[in-house]
Parts: sequence; structure tokens; C-alpha cells
Amino acid sequence: MNNVKNLRTFPGNRIIWHAVIVGIVWLLLLLLNNNIDPLYSSYLALVAMYATAMFGMTILVGLSGQVSLGNGALMAVGGYVFALTSMNWQTVPIIGWQWNAVWSMVFSGLGGILIGGIVGGLAARLRGPYLAGLTLGLAVGVPAITNRFPELLGGENGLMLSVPYPAGGYAALDSALGSSSDSSSGATVDPNSAVEEDQYAELDLSEFEQGANPDADLAPEDLLTDGDLLTEEDFGVGDQLTDGDLLTEEDFGVGDQLTDGDLLTDEDFGTGTDLAVDPTGITDAFDSGFIIERWQASMAIAVACLVAFAALNLVRGRQGRVWKAVRDDPVAAAVVGISPSGSKISAFVVSSLFAALAGAVFAQILSFIGPGAFGLGLSLSLLVGIVLGGRSSLLGAILGALLLVWLPELVDGLSGDRGWPEQITNNAPNLLYGLLVVAVVLAAPGGVTGTVRAWVDKARGKTRSPLS
Amino acid sequence: MLETVDLCVSFGAVKALSGMNLTVPRGEVTAVIGANGAGKSTLMRTLAGLVTPQSGQVLFDGKSIAGNKPEDIVRTGLALVPEGRSTIPELTVEENLRLGGLWRDRSERGASKNLVFDLFPILGERASMRADTLSGGERQQLAIGRALMSDPKCLLLDEPSLGLAPLIVTQILELVSRLAKETNLAVLLVEQNAVTALRVATTGVVLNLGEVVKSGSAYEISSDEELRHAYLGY
Amino acid sequence: MTNFIDYLLGGFSNGAVIALMALALVLVWRSTRMVNFAQVGQAMFTTYVALTIQQSTGNWLLALVVAIGAGAILGVIVFFLVIRPVKNSDSTGAIIATFGVLIALQAGAGMIWGGDPQGFIPPVDNAGLEFAGRIWPISPYDILVLSATAALVIGLTLLFTKTSLGLSMRASAFNPEVARLSGVRVNRMLISGWAIAGATGAIGGVLIAPASTISPNSFDILLVFAFTAAVIGGLDSLIGAVTFGIGTGLVISLVSGYSDSGNAAIVALVLLALNLLLKPDGVFGHHGARSV
Repeated sequence: MNNVKNLRTFPGNRIIWHAVIVGIVWLLLLLLNNNIDPLYSSYLALVAMYATAMFGMTILVGLSGQVSLGNGALMAVGGYVFALTSMNWQTVPIIGWQWNAVWSMVFSGLGGILIGGIVGGLAARLRGPYLAGLTLGLAVGVPAITNRFPELLGGENGLMLSVPYPAGGYAALDSALGSSSDSSSGATVDPNSAVEEDQYAELDLSEFEQGANPDADLAPEDLLTDGDLLTEEDFGVGDQLTDGDLLTEEDFGVGDQLTDGDLLTDEDFGTGTDLAVDPTGITDAFDSGFIIERWQASMAIAVACLVAFAALNLVRGRQGRVWKAVRDDPVAAAVVGISPSGSKISAFVVSSLFAALAGAVFAQILSFIGPGAFGLGLSLSLLVGIVLGGRSSLLGAILGALLLVWLPELVDGLSGDRGWPEQITNNAPNLLYGLLVVAVVLAAPGGVTGTVRAWVDKARGKTRSPLS
Repeated sequence: MLETVDLCVSFGAVKALSGMNLTVPRGEVTAVIGANGAGKSTLMRTLAGLVTPQSGQVLFDGKSIAGNKPEDIVRTGLALVPEGRSTIPELTVEENLRLGGLWRDRSERGASKNLVFDLFPILGERASMRADTLSGGERQQLAIGRALMSDPKCLLLDEPSLGLAPLIVTQILELVSRLAKETNLAVLLVEQNAVTALRVATTGVVLNLGEVVKSGSAYEISSDEELRHAYLGY
Repeated sequence: MTNFIDYLLGGFSNGAVIALMALALVLVWRSTRMVNFAQVGQAMFTTYVALTIQQSTGNWLLALVVAIGAGAILGVIVFFLVIRPVKNSDSTGAIIATFGVLIALQAGAGMIWGGDPQGFIPPVDNAGLEFAGRIWPISPYDILVLSATAALVIGLTLLFTKTSLGLSMRASAFNPEVARLSGVRVNRMLISGWAIAGATGAIGGVLIAPASTISPNSFDILLVFAFTAAVIGGLDSLIGAVTFGIGTGLVISLVSGYSDSGNAAIVALVLLALNLLLKPDGVFGHHGARSV
């Protein structure tokens, strides 16, 4: 029925509809972002980032039926391309325009398309478990590549990114620092903490230690233990192969964002205001009321909405039916003139493009990219999210993204005051994820959206496969 | 020996067997013939327990076995040789045979194996070779041999002639027919190739679209010209 | 040249453990035609069980035996709770479900035993043997690992070729319908397959733990190596799993020796990709059912 209806509708109509829907959602999200606590904005940024990656999972796993454990690795590709281009290129090659973050995103996307083509070409020859195993190798192997080129990719410590500037673009870290230092009211600005301009490009732990003056009112151990992005716990640096848990907030320091107010608080720059004590320090740190969580969220939302628009048109258009046809019966699809391998490769390319863009967003949210944050755990998170939300629907991807961000917080909230040991509470979300994934596959293979849709259909007296 | 009472089987909305009544006596071959899609294979798979009937009875030795698991049914003495030379090519000839009676006592198994080797000497010669090295006719003998290893009281043969040269088919079926008479074995033979089947059978049953159209002595059926034209296509 | 020989010798015991994990994957594949991505998670879990036994009793052999039992039981539990209920038509779901089990097992182990890497004391000395005037990269413990693996492989081979259970399991794997018609209780054979696979993985886990440390995620990389070995061996072949398991161990040892151990994962990935491209049915495989 649906297909017939789609065919009869003038495609331009559909595109306009999708644009309107996405546009409205975008506006609503921006409104929301500007009116909530910055704390929630950082959640919003993460949800948008996960959703971006998971739109790709919907297409790859749900519609095209290829189980990929490699999308976390594809995100890493996007993140590294973003980091490398934004750090090393001042102008656009050949054209010679001024470089900015948008160009980095474009190149991340191109990198994703390239890698997606290569992996998809391999994957098109493979069936279920073989593909899962190959992409599993990708999830473990790609982060390992960063160690192969420590000079270029920063090895296990990863790379620090430039931070956004209040004007909306990007600036070298020191100018943000400069503005924050100038405006920070009453905080002791230690001259030693002002690090030389180009040193920020490859910031690492030792530089933080050097940058912080023990005589300043901020002790060096605060820098390293409390809210610092670069501690080993935060990223599993140094053991990315053994410590590949599903990413929890600790892994990328969301919790730290929340308690300390900001990824890039004055602590990080050594200006000495403690935001946990003084929340207004955010506005003190940056003039003109710039709040980095809001900026990050609006950037992540913008990317997610653009990707959602593309995904909507692909999924609800001809290509979506091609993917489903090949998933359900490759032989029959081939008989009617659809190339099964072409369809599988295109699903991989699209999914990889989305993953790379999500990776670039993730790198900006973290202001950092390193192998630990993009390991097997991230790939598994994406799989978990898409299965729970609903494998074959874009709405399922959004629900999955919400679940990935919200569930750890829920567990934290429930267990917060009960004095449970940390090893219980830390692992509870993952245990829940694992059990939920099994339960959903067994009892409700369509995930949340598939199940709800099945109920609705049942109420209306229709039947269809939970995965359609 | 084996009897079905109003046996009905359907796959979704499609009725494969509707109200099937059939009796298979000991010591002789009963042939079920009919065109493609008449429900012959469904009948066999239902009798062996691979398909569960919607309604009706399968009585074997007076006991109802409909709905039982295939691995239990074979242990009560009803063995099926499914369509398409059902050997396991990765196993040797000897292993294929051994598989047929794994649940039996070692000594009884030995006796059955000697019987099979007497019946099909070629299997004895090829005992240690992998089943996929055998010719089509030899594989069909192996499949029958595997079924005989369970010391059945009733043997179900589903399209043994499929893809085999007529001469070999005749040889194999005559062996089976002789075995039925000598050991008081009930044999239910399902065939598309009516001429061959009726030549060795005592009783014939004509099946069409899941129903018994006619049953009677093999001679009676093969000489009924109208029946032949209508349902058997020759 | 001495380096080469040292690296090669040093890879054998690691390879033996990869071979055991690959064997576990193959055993499951043969019984239910699926790859159990939770296999190393199960092995990790039972290794923790063994660690607990060893820490409380100091008896390594007891720890090993308990781990084997726990591995078999865990395999059966996973089979009953997860694998059997998955709908046949949902092959994607089956793969995802095994990853769900993996995530849950790792989190569960983290809850019970904590996330910090723990050491596992080997029952015999794990320092290189001195022989002919130099120290060789083979320790008494390596010899124990190799002999245990050899014994297990011989045992499994005998089980599959000489016993009725083995014949029933093989028949159930190759053609469940014919096996059922022959009176084999195929369901029990599938359970046996999962139990034996779980036990084999458990042995592999206990054997590798002293060579490194154990943490909830420490076996992830082993899954990649074992999968690589099993796939190159053809997924169906016990001999293939053992051969390429040890082969993978040797290659990894050489790569780690000449460059650094971080590259091992990349090499495994390249090996896997090349194999899937060039010889998709594996070297010992005979089922042309890998593509659509």
C-alpha cells in the first residue's frame, strides 16, 4: 500500500514535505536548546550526535540487513579527518579560500564516503556472520592504526581540537583562552598558564602539568583529576584494546561536563574559577554570554537535521525500497534488475558518510579525538541503540539515541543515593543494554517503534512484518 | 499395519491433504501415485513426523503416532527414505549406515548391517568411502540401507526413481518388493512414475489434489484407462 | 635469524589458545550454523570463576575443572535462553543477540569482579627455559598450554570420529532432517555442541589468563583473532581452526616482535579481509554458502 502511494506521489512533493518536517523539528530543537540549562544542552548535543550516526545504522542494519560493528570505527575516520584538516590546513586546497570548520566537516564526509566504498565493496561479498566478524575487526583494528602513526594521529593520547569561538566559528585555543582570561572577574590569572599559541595543536598531559603553576589557586591535581578531559580514566588511553566498554558518560566526560559545568572551563585553561562552586563562572569565562554546550548542541542539531533530511528522502524514496528488496530476497531483487551488491555498497557508503559526520561532531563535542573514545564500545553502543529504538525506522534511531544518553543517567539517578559500590553502578547500564538487546531481539524484533507500530496496525486490523 | 484416518494437512491457507484414508498392510508394497502437487510427499512427511497434521489420525500398529517427533517415530519402526537420495555426503558409507541405528543395541545393529550388505553388496565394498563418491543408484541404495538399519516394520519410500536410470530403479524396487514379502515388511512407495511403481506394488492408490481418487489392486489401477488419462498423464 | 626463531617459538602458546577459541567458534557453527560472538565473553566469565577458585583454594587444576564445567553450563544456558528462541528467519537478530550476550557478560563480570586487570598465577613457571647456553622464549607453562591444547584437540577428534555421540553430532550438523529421520535427537546434539564449545572456550580462557591479565574486556582482541582463524580455516573444519589458530598466533608473534604488538589487530584485519576476498570459503571449507 505504502509503496503504491509513494509511487503515485510526485517526488518533489515528498521532498518539500520532508524539508518542512525537518525544518520545524530543527526550529523546535533550537528553541529548546536556547531555553534549557546548559547541562541539558550537552545531553542534547550527544543525542543529536548519536542520532546522526544511527540514521546510518538504520539504513545499514535495518534496511539493508548488514550487521555492522564497524560504524564506531567509521566515526573515528570522520573525527580524525576533522581534527587533521582543522589543525593543519589554513586554506582550502586548490580553491584557496579561508579554512573553517564547515570545510572540515565536508572533508570528514568525503573521508567517510571513501572508506564506506572500500568496506562496502568487501562487505557486499559477505553474508551475515562473516560481515559482522569483518566489521568487528574494523572496530578493533582502526583504533589500533592510530598507534601506528603517533606523530600524525597522536597515538593513544589522541589529538586536541581547536575550540569554538563566541562569534560562531573556530579559533585557535589561545584566543578563547585570552578572552576568558581577560574577562574572568577576580580570578587569579597565572601567566604561566597561558600556553604558547601553536602548542595547543597537540596538547597533552605533560603540557597541562607544565602549564599549571602550583602556586596558582588551582592545584595541579585538580587539573588532572577533576574534570580534565585527558586523564586515563576518561578515555581508556593506553589500553584501548582491553578497555573497550560501551561508552558511558565517564568515557567522554559528560559527567564531568555536568558537574564541572563545562568541557572547556577555566579549569582547563587554568584561569582558576571553580565552576562547580560558582556556576556563573561560565559567563565569566567567556564574554558575550557564549555557552559552549549550547553552541555544541546547535552544531550537532544542525548536522543531525541535515542528515535526517537526506535519510528521510533516501529511506522513503526508491532507494529505501531497493535496500529492503535486496535484504528480503537478493535473488528476486536481482531478477527484477536490482544489483544486490550495488545496493549493499550504497547502504555502506551512506551509512559511512553519516557515521563520519557524526564522528566529526563527536570530536568537536569532546574537543578531542583519540582511539579510546572510538573503540569497539562505541560501535556496540550504536548497535544497541538501533536495536532498542527499532531497527528499520529513522524514528527508532532517534529513540535509540535518546536511550543511549538517558539510560545511564536513569541508572545513575536510581542508584545515586543508595551507596552501591561503584563497580555495580558503573556496569549497570551496560548490563541493562545487553539484556535489553537480547530481550528485544527475542520478543520485539522491531524495537520500540516496530512494536508500537505493530500495536497501531493491530488496532486498525492490519498485519505486517515487524521489520518491514 | 499403518493406517491413516481422515488425515488433513494444510500449509497456511493451502490444503495439502484433505481427509486422507489409507491402509498399508504388511508383506507387500502399496504404491501411492499421482501427479506433481497431489500431496504425495506431504503424506510421507506427515507419516514420518516431519509435518504435523491439522486433524485426523495416523495409526501405526494400532497406536496413534500423529504429532510425534520423527526421532521417536523411527524408533517405533516406521522409517522414511525421503526424496532425493537422502544420504549425508560428508560421512562415509559405513557411518551413514551406522547412523541409521545408533539408538539400537550394538549386536542388533550388526545383524541389520549384515542384512543390508547382503541386500546391497556394493555398499559393503564401498564401506569406508565418503558417500559423495557414490553414484546416484548407489546412494539410493545407501539411503534405503540407512532406513533398514532401524529394523523397520514399515518402510516409506519417497520417489526413489527420481533422477535414476529406469533399469536401476527396477532393480532396486524389485529388491524392496522381495524384502517385503520375505520379511513381512510393510512398504509404502510414493511415485510419480506410475508404471514402475505399479509393477512392483500389490495395491495402488491414486492421489489428486490431496484426496484419494481411487484405490484398488495394482492391476486394476494400471488397466483403468480413464484413470490413467485423467490423473496419471499417460 | 635468531630473532626470527625466537619470535616464532614465542607465538606457539598464544596460537594454541587462539586455536581453542577458534575451535569453540567452529563447534558452535557446526551445531547451529551461527557465529557465537559471545564466545570469548563466556570464556572471560568462566576464567573469572577459575580465578576466584584459584584465589580461594590455590588449586589450579580444580580451578580449571570448575571453569570447564561452568563453560559448558554457560554455553547451554546461552543456547536455551537466547539462541533457541530466536526466530529462524531473523538471522540478523541472532547475530545481534550474541553481541547482546557479550555486552551483558562483560558488564556482569565488571559488576562481580571489578574492571581492574587482575593477574592469574600460572601453575608452573612462566619464565623462558634455559637450554644449550641460552634462554629460549618457551616456558614450562607454554609447554603445559601446548600439551593441554594438543590433548584437547586429539580428544575432540576421537570424540567426533569414533563415538556414537560424535557421529550423531556430525550428522545433526550436516543434515538435521536426515539425522532426525535416523532417530538422532538433534536438539540434544545442538545442546552438546554448545556445551562442548563452552568448555573448550573456558579451557582457552584459563590457559591464556596467566600470560597476560584478565579484565572484562581483555578477551575482545582474542575474539577477532579467533574469528580470523576460524574463518580462514573454513568455519566448518576443526583441523582448519587449529591450524590457522596456531598460524595466527605465529604471525602475531612475528608482527609484534618486528614492529610492536599494537599492530597485531591491524594484521588480523588485513588477513581476514584478504581471505574473505580471495578464498571466501576458507582453506578447509567445502560449503559454498557464504554469499547470498
